[in-house]
Amino acid sequence: MTPRTTLAAVAALLCSAAVSIAGAAGFAADSVTLAPVGTIPGPADLVQVQDTHAYVVADKTLTIVDISNPASPMRRGAYTFPEKIWGFRVVGSLVYVADDFFGLGILDVSNAAAPALLGSFKTPGQAKNVAVFGTKAVVADHMSGVDFIDVSNRARPVSLGSFFVDGYARDVVVAGSLAYAVDAPAGLYVFDLSKPGPLDAVSTQQSATAPGSIVVSEGSGTQGPKVAVLVGGGSLQVYDLSAPAAPVRAATHRTPSGRPLRVALHDALAYVADGREGVQVVDLSTPSTPRVVGAYKTPNPARDVAVAGSLVLVVAGPLPQGNVPSGGGEVLILRRTP
Amino acid sequence: MIRAAIVVIGVTLLTLTGAATDQWPQFRGPAAGVIPDDPALPETWSETENVVWKTTIPGLGWSSPVVWDDHIFLTSAVSSGYEKPPVPGLYDEHDHVKAAAPQRWVVYDVDFKTGKIRWERELYKAQPPLLRHIKNSYASETAVTDGERVYVYFGSIGILAAFDLNGKKAWSRELGAFNTQVELGTGASPTIYKDRIYVVNDNTTQSFLSAFDKRTGAELWRVNRDERGNWSTPLVWENELRTEIVTAGTVKVRSYDLDGKQLWELRGMTTLTIPSPFARNGLVYISSGYPGALPRPVYAIRPGASGDISLKPDETTNNYIAWYHPQLGTYNTSALVYGGYYYTLLDRGFLLCHDAKTGKQIYGRQRISIDSTGFTSSPWAYNGKIFVLSEDGDTYVIQAGPQFKVIGKNSLGDMPLATPAALRGSLIVRTQSKLYRIAGNAKK
Repeated sequence: MTPRTTLAAVAALLCSAAVSIAGAAGFAADSVTLAPVGTIPGPADLVQVQDTHAYVVADKTLTIVDISNPASPMRRGAYTFPEKIWGFRVVGSLVYVADDFFGLGILDVSNAAAPALLGSFKTPGQAKNVAVFGTKAVVADHMSGVDFIDVSNRARPVSLGSFFVDGYARDVVVAGSLAYAVDAPAGLYVFDLSKPGPLDAVSTQQSATAPGSIVVSEGSGTQGPKVAVLVGGGSLQVYDLSAPAAPVRAATHRTPSGRPLRVALHDALAYVADGREGVQVVDLSTPSTPRVVGAYKTPNPARDVAVAGSLVLVVAGPLPQGNVPSGGGEVLILRRTP
Repeated sequence: MIRAAIVVIGVTLLTLTGAATDQWPQFRGPAAGVIPDDPALPETWSETENVVWKTTIPGLGWSSPVVWDDHIFLTSAVSSGYEKPPVPGLYDEHDHVKAAAPQRWVVYDVDFKTGKIRWERELYKAQPPLLRHIKNSYASETAVTDGERVYVYFGSIGILAAFDLNGKKAWSRELGAFNTQVELGTGASPTIYKDRIYVVNDNTTQSFLSAFDKRTGAELWRVNRDERGNWSTPLVWENELRTEIVTAGTVKVRSYDLDGKQLWELRGMTTLTIPSPFARNGLVYISSGYPGALPRPVYAIRPGASGDISLKPDETTNNYIAWYHPQLGTYNTSALVYGGYYYTLLDRGFLLCHDAKTGKQIYGRQRISIDSTGFTSSPWAYNGKIFVLSEDGDTYVIQAGPQFKVIGKNSLGDMPLATPAALRGSLIVRTQSKLYRIAGNAKK
């Protein structure tokens, strides 16, 4: 790349950081209101939602809850893993679980009343989270970094190698064929999972603060993801993904609590589990200028959040010690308007 | 007269040389893990191969063995109940444990020749007052010996004591048991130099460095330190200009003269300082490297410093810092300088090699084995080989020099965290439950 093309690329990136993503996402909010509609009794550490089901994790147990009627959630089934669940992904009728020293677990939830373990793979250390690309899984592992695993045979996952990250791997997420991983104290790594051969980073950079988790906005049609948000160190770091393999930090957004714990992205809105300040809703239509458009003060600190349509599910309970869950907690179901 | 003086000097040198090669008086021995070449030293072993003897050591203690003549000294904390076993590797949570039952703090003297426990002495019995990390023990400080006595320090109960070689207690002193930051337990070993024992205890109450008379246990002086918890053993550094006590700390590295007066200090370490300073070839090497923080520095420091020698922004060297690397520090292991190379053993199973004089990289991160869980024991070297002992009980043998190559693996099948001693053709390895004497010609 010549200096001129480099400059052009940099200019394009800088411009793109200021371009609204509202067009692709189809949403930009002036204000958002959240109102309670129901509660899933605890304990609860983590929550995700797909279609009409909420997936709630407390310590070693993943519980499936029908929220077709959010005012009256119905427990459908549960599965208890051998170790603490640090993170998970719901992909169709499968749940990929990062289960501490047990490693990766693959759970069939096609019958929500009777989840069944299809297979597992022991990663070297504590599995912290997992993301899936087709028949490949990437696992953030405390000891080895990012593990790449072939899960085409779910009963017998096979290691495809690993990529050592400099700090402690905390989270990994997939968008398209790219995986984004973060480590503490300060790393953001991008992997192209479509490339054959050993897992290797296509880009790495030092983040501004210690990230504990990462989320990436959903793509739209042929459009890739537009924004990534790293959570940790008392702030959100917003990255522009106009060039998906080369994230550009667009903004650092400090939240009222100074201790945001998790974020869910939906359209151009970031729903922030902001500890003692409850839920903050931040408009990222323009990634370089995050704008608070709503808030909901939960009775207990907000520590995880998930969004499906107009429903916002929030885990509220005692704050974790460091990055270790404290137990307790419940899931509040809120409805967003507009 | 001159002739007599030369004879005396010669005898002294011989004595010192003998002591340096035939005894192992402290953590990492007399030369920071470098052992003179000896074809009798073992390079292959297993639980049965080349094992002269193995002895079960009760309780849990990660203090490393020290050796004087036929005496191998080590310490342990023996619980009267069931305690959760240590978990290898690096991890979140599982961190703090409270002892399930009262403990006995015990000193062992094991016979070098037979492996039999010659004597054991219970120093204290109580419910431990402090929490500890599940991988730590209540007996992690390595003893020191001068061939007259063994000096033991248990930070978990705050007792420093001396026993003669027959196991008779010479003295003991209560220094207080103090929590370290995040209640991980204690680990910094004492250091012996001439007539004094030096103890660093960095804690959340009042950190200190103290000097004790080794014959009486009398405290000769104490200086307070602005630290909240470190696990690094102080180094008495005899350099070309003077003798000084180098202490690594998270807030500052500090060096003191032998009377406790601070000579120089250095800022720029990371949180949780564990590796111990050591000196080789005229430089002292200091590091810290908690993987979840930055920087993870290594400093190579020349003798003669005074005042604040901290690097200014963008500096990597100054009059007293020969070289600096911002991201080479290890978490638990201490580094090794052997044959002009500075070897870094990362806790998560990588070896790196740099020029020991300049810090120039010889080779970058090389994975030792995909199978290893982690490394806490510090590396050692002899016969042109580097030895690294994993928490799985596997010792990987790596060729020394500019090319990385693993040339062997020796398994004991039991978790170790202590650093072995090597002397007189034997390797003394402590695992969680056993003490091994391994020798290249074990059958002879």
